[in-house]
This record gives sequence, C-alpha cells and structure tokens, in this order.
Amino acid sequence: MDDKTRTAAGIAANLQGIKYDDKRLAELAAEVELLNGAVREAAAQRLTFDDDPANFASLMAREARK
Amino acid sequence: MRNDDLALEDLSAIADAIAAGRITSVEATEACLARIETWQPRTNAFIRVLKEKALAQARAMDAELKAGKRRGPLHGVPMAHKDMYYRKGELSTGGSSIRKDWIAPVTATALQKLDAAGVVELGFLNMAEFAAGPTGHNVHFGHCKNPWDEKRVTGGSSSGSGASVAARMTYGALGSDTGGSIRMPAAACGVVGMKATYGRVSRAGAVARSWSLDHVGPLTRTVRDNARVLAAIAGHDPADSTTSEKPVPDYEALLEGGVAGLRIGLALPSDGPGGLDAGIGGAIQTAADVLGKLGAKISPVTLPDFTALYRAAEVMVKCEAAAMHRPWMEKTPELYANQVRTRMEAGFFIPATQYIDALRLRAHFVAEFLATAMDGVDAVLLPAIPFPIPTIEETDTENKGGPAVLKMVAGFTGLTRPFNTLGIPALSVPCGFDRNGVPIGMQLVGRPFDEAMLYRIGHAYQGATDHHTRVPA
Repeated sequence: MDDKTRTAAGIAANLQGIKYDDKRLAELAAEVELLNGAVREAAAQRLTFDDDPANFASLMAREARK
Repeated sequence: MRNDDLALEDLSAIADAIAAGRITSVEATEACLARIETWQPRTNAFIRVLKEKALAQARAMDAELKAGKRRGPLHGVPMAHKDMYYRKGELSTGGSSIRKDWIAPVTATALQKLDAAGVVELGFLNMAEFAAGPTGHNVHFGHCKNPWDEKRVTGGSSSGSGASVAARMTYGALGSDTGGSIRMPAAACGVVGMKATYGRVSRAGAVARSWSLDHVGPLTRTVRDNARVLAAIAGHDPADSTTSEKPVPDYEALLEGGVAGLRIGLALPSDGPGGLDAGIGGAIQTAADVLGKLGAKISPVTLPDFTALYRAAEVMVKCEAAAMHRPWMEKTPELYANQVRTRMEAGFFIPATQYIDALRLRAHFVAEFLATAMDGVDAVLLPAIPFPIPTIEETDTENKGGPAVLKMVAGFTGLTRPFNTLGIPALSVPCGFDRNGVPIGMQLVGRPFDEAMLYRIGHAYQGATDHHTRVPA
C-alpha cells in the first residue's frame, strides 16, 4: 500500500467510518488526487480571499440579457 | 382524426385543438395510451403507466372546458415525467431499488405548476438510478431502449423522457439535467430538450443528484412545445431558494423573431474524449449553414479548455451525492448498481476546502466563458453528443466495464456538463441522423436567462428543416 492509499485508508476508517478493500482504496486515492489537483491548480490561478461561492448567483443575475 | 393520428400531433397543436373544441382531452389521452401499448414493450420508457387516473383527469379537464374554464395553454394535454418528481402520497422510485416502495411526502413544484396548467399525467418514466448515468441503463427497472434502434441507448439520465416523446407516447415530458441528462436523451432520441439557466425552474420536490448542478426542464417534439412547457414551470419558488425572481418571459410570443442579423458562434471541438466524429461534425456544420441562409452571421469560436471546470464539477457532484446518499451507502450499498455507487465514493475523500473552492471557482468559469466563446455572439452552436449513439451492450459498465467502455461513457457528457457548471441555458435540437440512422442533436448555448434567444434560433431552424417531424417506425 503506497502513502496515498494509506491516507485514503485512514480517512475511510478513522474519519468516515466506511470500509473499502485495498484495491478500491488505491483507485479512490488516484481519483481524488486527480480531482483535488485540478481544483487546487485552478484555485491557485483564480481565487482571492474575497471570492464567495454566492458570487456565482449574483454574476448570473448581472450578466442576464437586459 | 384517428387516435393514432392524434398521438402524432405535437403538443401545441393538440393543446390548441382541445381549446378550440375540435378534440377532447380524453381523445388525446386515449391516443397516447394506445401508443404506449404499442411502444412500451419496445422501449421500456415507462416505469408506471397511470391509465385510469389519466383518463379521469382528462375527463375532468374536458368538463372544466365545457363549463368555460380553461386553465392555460396546456389545458388537457397528456404528459409523463421522469420518475423523480414527487407527488404527495404516491410512489416515487427515482429509478432505484432503494426507493422502490417509497411514498413521496410532498408534490414537486414543477408538477404543481403543471397541475395548475391543466396537464394530464400519463405516468412516470424510466431513468438512470438516482439520475446517475448518461446512457439509459437501469439494472432495477430494465434498460431503456432507443425507439430509432432498440439495440442502442437512449442517452440518460432522462432516458424514458427522451424515448417516450420520440415514440409519440406522450406530447412532452419533464427530465432533469446535472451533466447533460435532458440534452443527451433529447439528442439521441431526436427531440428537443432545454436545460434552462440555473435558478430558472424550481428543483423542489425533485430527486437531487447534485444541488449545485441540477436543472429541471422539458423534453418535447418541437421548440414551440418546449417554450410552452418551460413557461408553465419556470419562475421563483419559495421552496427552492436558488430560484430567480426574474420575471418569466412569454417565450412562445418571442419565437418568431427570426435569426436575421443574429450572431452565432460555431464550435466544432476536436479534442476531448474520443474527439468529434466526422459525421456529427458535418451535421452541425450543415445546421450552421441553414441558419446562415436564414440570415444569421455564423463565425467560428473556440471553446475554452474545460478540463478544470469539468473536474470542479466532478468534485461538486461526488461530494454532494456522497453526503445525501451516505446513510444508504453505509447500510445497504448492495442495493445500488455498481456504476452508480462507485461514482459517488470519492466524495467521502475529497476535502471540504476543495469542494468549497470548486463552488468559488464557478463565477470565474462563467466570466471566462462569457468573455471568450460568447464574446460578441448571441449564442454558441455545438454538438450535444460528439459521436454516433452506441449500443446498450457497448456501454454496459455494469457487466462489461474496461477502459474503452468507461471512456465512451465518459465521452457522452464532454460537451454538455460544462454548461451545468456554468449554469447558462443550453437547448438540444435534432439536426440529422448518424450513420446508424439514429438522431443527432445540436446544442445552442446562450447567456444567463436568455432561453428566449435559444428558442428563437431553434424555432427558425425547425421552420427550415424537417428532422423534428420524423417519427420512428
């Protein structure tokens, strides 16, 4: 079991209380790494302290065709 | 008119004929029921047909009309809906085994609005389990089959909605769309599907897949029909705080503007899983040429790289789905299809900070899209599904699996999911047939709350073409 799979195993057992076998944990660790990495990179390029999830709704209203 | 002829008419024509007293709601309902009798064994589009209830409703609508009361432009029209819209005191399965006996405690706002408009309910339609799946497979209720070729998928997750409208079993249907689940079955079955702006239609009382990305909307045979149904279900709803208070336009009154002078960006993306099939690309180019001949100014546009946006959407869906499904995933995981359960599991491992950042990124993605692909154009035209519709067997992830199958299934949403994350309106309109004789859908994407523009373009296109009039044999 590599470090990432071990981390996933720890989350499953200790934080979420859900059991998976080692093979599935390895798959999930790889999937999460891909998704987390993409979001972290996109966030680093775009987000500032003042970005609020609610900006989405206000932008949609503001950009509506008049 | 014979019963069968009545079922072949479109929703607006039937509604207007009922209003004028040329036919009754009971006659229209009987026509649909006769059609269901023939086509249900071929398509498995319905989970439940409510024959007696529908006829009783139709009789009541006829009586009201006779007494001088017309509820609105859908009075007496038979429709059917994806089996995820709750009706108080009645069964609502969500296409799942887990809820096979579950009775809904409330009625969905969209159904309440259709009730108020006088719609007759024929029954509830097949769907992917918990709206999770782009193909139309369902291990609990049987796979839905494409009426154009029963070996092929319907697209999902609103599989029964696409198949039932295409096979003329119903005049229109509600679907829902988290990553393309209205537009993909609309495209694969040759009907019109609208995913309106996020917040345009209430999600209250509908099974959630992802609260942030779910959209409720109609599938119909024509753009006019679609505009009529959307107008009936759109608008602010105190039961769904994400709904907009913006007034709902009279979409149908705005249909006839034509496309002369409109600027339409043409996007034929060649990247992404599987690329763009030449035949599909050709059909979209031909559609652009038609719109050009009608006076629209067509210019090529390049879509931004959607990779980060797509993965942010995955983060939202997986985290939200894992949260809502957690009790069942802990206690009865075996009741899910493998491909449904496994798609949610990563949500238990994604840190909350990443989920929140995905939500925070959304406004940036919208601003970037509006400033690039939509800059200087009224709408963007692109394919709905970038390849010919595959067979049920080719896309059976439950029994077959493997990288090639998974890649093909993932490729379904490549051009639809981005517009759920962006929340902007997207309309799928039939624009031809692939090399297997199965429909092709073009997608029109617009600015926030500009559904009227997409309907106007789609309506002009349908006025110049006949793809939407073809009926599966």
